[in-house]
Amino acid sequence: MTLWTPTDDGFADLTSHDTFAGGAPHNTFARLRRDDPLHWTEYKDGQDFWSVTRHADIAEMNKNTAVFSSARGIRMEDQSYEEYLARRTFQETDPPEHSQTRMLLMRAFSRPVMAQYENDIRQLCDEILDAALEKGTFDATREIARQLPMRMLGRVMGLPEADLPWLVEKGDALIANTDPDFTSHVLDKMDTDEFRMMPFNSPAGAELYAYAKELMAAKAASGDTEGVLHMVRQPAKDGSTITETEFRNFFCLLVAAGNDTTRYSIAAGLQALCHQPELLGQMQQGGDIWDTAPDEIIRWATPALYFRRTALADYEMHGKTIRAGDKVLYWFSSANRDDSVFDDPFRVDLFRSPNRHMSFGQGGPHVCLGMWLARLEVRVLFQELAKRLKSIEPAGPHKFLRSNFVGGIKELPVTVTLA
Amino acid sequence: MHVTWKLPGGAEIVAEVADGLNLMEAAVANNVPGVIGECGGCLSCATCHVFVTEDWLDRVGGPGEMEDVMLDMVAGERRPNSRLSCQITAAVALDGLVLEVPEES
Repeated sequence: MTLWTPTDDGFADLTSHDTFAGGAPHNTFARLRRDDPLHWTEYKDGQDFWSVTRHADIAEMNKNTAVFSSARGIRMEDQSYEEYLARRTFQETDPPEHSQTRMLLMRAFSRPVMAQYENDIRQLCDEILDAALEKGTFDATREIARQLPMRMLGRVMGLPEADLPWLVEKGDALIANTDPDFTSHVLDKMDTDEFRMMPFNSPAGAELYAYAKELMAAKAASGDTEGVLHMVRQPAKDGSTITETEFRNFFCLLVAAGNDTTRYSIAAGLQALCHQPELLGQMQQGGDIWDTAPDEIIRWATPALYFRRTALADYEMHGKTIRAGDKVLYWFSSANRDDSVFDDPFRVDLFRSPNRHMSFGQGGPHVCLGMWLARLEVRVLFQELAKRLKSIEPAGPHKFLRSNFVGGIKELPVTVTLA
Repeated sequence: MHVTWKLPGGAEIVAEVADGLNLMEAAVANNVPGVIGECGGCLSCATCHVFVTEDWLDRVGGPGEMEDVMLDMVAGERRPNSRLSCQITAAVALDGLVLEVPEES
């Protein structure tokens, strides 16, 4: 059984969020990988860009930060220098500046530190799954996939449980700023100029800034040193610390990017269980599958569809010249279906190894800071789910987010029977 | 040059590595399990951790400043002979180098 057949005509408009509302345009990506692996797209107001779609090309370019810079924006849309300065996180910097900030943040998200959360995650999964599965038929994105990252965000950041739904709503309004289900300020459908200095051009950014400020004041007053927010503010070995602006932008980044990406990974895994019934039995047999299954689920999901770089010098590839100043998009979504790297890329193979997927932006200095937490959450969630289920089936069509930046199943109706 | 990776179970992988390639890239190209190199050798991930065997320590040398910070974040145990293999470059002087791949955490 084919898990999912891409339905676009091979000539989808990559600049249109609507293109992605039915899932990533995989026929178009397949055509580009085959016929035009360095593809020029004309985009409104001279914002034209190159699309890189082959795995090998992205791998080569992603580590070449001397030519391909993150410091002029990481989205398809242009931003002015003042917007960039106000809104940037270390995602929008290059080495060596990037390395210095990353050093301050990395320890808090390192594999050994994250591993300590396994019991917390398992306990949260118990609560979440017990509550969801008894419903029988439900929206698995809302009841399962959305719950775990939201509540882990609270644990990892040391936030009050009661604040979490509000925070996640604001995070969604930020990052899903092109989907009317998530924000009343749909980015490409109204004038959001008044919010352009805010993260993701969104009024939710202002609210999150204010929340972060109050939170840290309250934590300081009570001597609360729980969670990674405290850890990232500790000085590095050389005494340097992150600035106030860096901190509040980082906070927004955690609430937004650190949340929905894991949600959509879990959602994609649940969708795979629905459409490839053999997967549940494989999970139930356990063992080595748990070394490889999380990465395969995360490959399948590819929540970050692309990141953009800007060329700092001319660069020759496939007989074309990328000029200094040109924008270049690394389409991870395409690379993760590249059949020169992945056998049968449209099939979920939970034993796939090696699995050189690029969902975390592997191959460059910006590789996802939260990847160990994401893998851990995905592993524990599916371990606990597999124990409880006899079957899981679709209870209707699923719906994707309207966004060419974040790929995710926002609605996934399922029916379960318990073991 | 030739490099030998000794795996936790006792198996060994030996490969010819072109000068100038870093030993994370060499390990990935030869499918050495446990050496991943998630960040492509940009000192952002600590997933290419190896132990340099005693005979080779002097010739390979110790970690740089950034690598030293990153080595505190490796999954398993850090030892005095720990290095991130993306920071070791293949060269004639290292012909015959033997690296041990750590147990995962």
